[in-house]
Amino acid sequence: MGSRAEILAKLKANKPEALPLPQIDSSIFDEGLNLIEEFTKKVEVVGGNVYQATSADDVVKQITKMLPDTKVNFSTLEGTSAFNTIDLSTINDPRELEDLDILILESDLAVAENGAVWVNDQSLPIRVLPFITKHLVLVLSKEHILPYMHQAYEKLNHQPTDFGVFISGPSKTADIEQSLVIGAHGALSLTVFLLD
Amino acid sequence: MSHPKLASIFNKDEKKVDWHDKALWFVRHKRDKSVHSVKNWEELRNLGQGIKAHMLSNLDIYLEEFEANANKNGVEVHWAANAEEHNQIVHNILKENNAKKVVKSKSMLTEECHLNPHLEADGIEVIDTDLGERIVQLAKEPPSHIVLPAIHKNKHEVDELFQEHLGTEPCDGNPQYLTHEARKHLRQKFIEADAAITGVNFAIAETGGFVVCTNEGNADMGAHLAPVHIACMGVEKIIPKLEHLSVFLRLLGRSATGQPITTYSSHFKKPANGKKMHIVIVDNGRSEQLSRPDFRASLRCIRCGACMNTCPIYRRSGGHSYDATVPGPIGSILSPGKDLKKHSTLPFASTLCGSCSDVCPVKIDIHAQLYKWRQIITKETPQPFVKKKSMQIMGSVFTKPKQFETVGKIARWSLRNLPQSVINSKPNVWGKERDLPKGPKQSFDQWYNERQKNKNNS
Ligand code: SF4
Repeated sequence: MGSRAEILAKLKANKPEALPLPQIDSSIFDEGLNLIEEFTKKVEVVGGNVYQATSADDVVKQITKMLPDTKVNFSTLEGTSAFNTIDLSTINDPRELEDLDILILESDLAVAENGAVWVNDQSLPIRVLPFITKHLVLVLSKEHILPYMHQAYEKLNHQPTDFGVFISGPSKTADIEQSLVIGAHGALSLTVFLLD
Repeated sequence: MSHPKLASIFNKDEKKVDWHDKALWFVRHKRDKSVHSVKNWEELRNLGQGIKAHMLSNLDIYLEEFEANANKNGVEVHWAANAEEHNQIVHNILKENNAKKVVKSKSMLTEECHLNPHLEADGIEVIDTDLGERIVQLAKEPPSHIVLPAIHKNKHEVDELFQEHLGTEPCDGNPQYLTHEARKHLRQKFIEADAAITGVNFAIAETGGFVVCTNEGNADMGAHLAPVHIACMGVEKIIPKLEHLSVFLRLLGRSATGQPITTYSSHFKKPANGKKMHIVIVDNGRSEQLSRPDFRASLRCIRCGACMNTCPIYRRSGGHSYDATVPGPIGSILSPGKDLKKHSTLPFASTLCGSCSDVCPVKIDIHAQLYKWRQIITKETPQPFVKKKSMQIMGSVFTKPKQFETVGKIARWSLRNLPQSVINSKPNVWGKERDLPKGPKQSFDQWYNERQKNKNNS
């Protein structure tokens, strides 16, 4: 508990008179974006790639062509288990995933203005997966791209999650003399596939 | 040491200062480009300001709501009145879990509390995992910027540090190679860690969850691999509702580096199966800052660093010259609230140009607060004799037109006729690092009167 009561009492005594909570009117930010175009542009700006695919099978086919000879692969897409080289139910400790080469995940929410794709517990059997994998592949149906973060949270308000993350591009850093290096601690590459 | 003294140390390496200045200005430029492409950016800032101001005026209520929801989520909440209590709480959690190796992602709060030395004294290994923070940790220095902790180091210094501590090959400062080596080194640390400590960017009262933003993915690597996750937050990190994240996540990345959003915006709510999650809520002087009407707006800060990147003083004096956890303009209004004497020179480390207030995503009136701190400091702390005397003399000269005219005449004559060595001599700080202009023959008054005369004649 510590100093709970003392801190709360001080804050209560010291806070200013109550100020109103502003309402967000998301319509004032609307520029009538072409969602697919804007999303694709932004994913590329943040260092990722966007491709079209016709089915889950097609995703696997394309990605094995782009990244051949990988050893450890895992996909959560339906009907693609032939791609998997590991069985998550036998993983006792997330640290065993250290050698994961490719991870394919599904998403049902992405944001055009910043190229962010939402991934949550429901499609994520183990939380560390999208961070520990070398190459991250996200699969998304076009109709799930929303224009701004405002619309994204309207949707998230209705799907409470225990853990979720917006991912925009591969991991990166510019901490050495401001030169951008792709691949810090998380994924070295990010590929998004759009389904019709 | 005072800001001017520390700044003059940084200024010894002119080339480095130049680079530092330009690199940060470039980040500011990226911010501008990104911000100008957002329709109604000013309205977005107004929302950011309004939501935070509302939160501060109901802070105790939202904290209680947050705590209740976090408890429901299976998260243990702790409260710390000050840095010592914070360190003690974290230390106890680690002891309870028998944790000897800890990975930490960026958290200015744990810097503020000096958590690392506290834990290290008990033989606990604490590894900072943000690349920039790891660099300064190896160099045994504090971060010099809140978003770009190692901005004061050049690639050759990093090269040498890594050779010494990580056993890398000499690489002429190749950032690609050095980053890759750091990734391998820190991967090992993530795998071995018994506990992970992260900061908190936003804590949501309505859900009891919190959001951590990184570009590298280090907060997630730590938190999801280690069995225990401890998140440390200042009381002011609260926002009322989930939907408010839409405003702050739109503001933060763009203001910080010009990115449309940070690479990872991770929403933690419930611990994963078999894992533990703790939140430590820290006051450490914040409730006091809340009591000061002139300065409480500083608690709206979302730590984007934009005010540092734009500040002409920060860019040329370096983060270490502020001798405070949070440097730059925002640091200069936060620090005097904690220790007025120690930080009495900071509010003067500004040209009051107002650029910081212009870029601040939550519209803190930073330069106005700097000015207000100056008023308090000049009253309450002793000023250097030369400054005090010269200000008094100037004050009296300005109020007496006749005297002002005479002094002006002498000054103009001196600037035209005295040798350089006298003009740029030590007591004249304005002659340091710059040449003073050649004094005009006429004063403005004379010039104006003559001009009027000519006008009337023509
Ligand atoms: S004061 Fe404003 S500009 Fe400076 S770090 Fe805080 S939020 Fe950013």
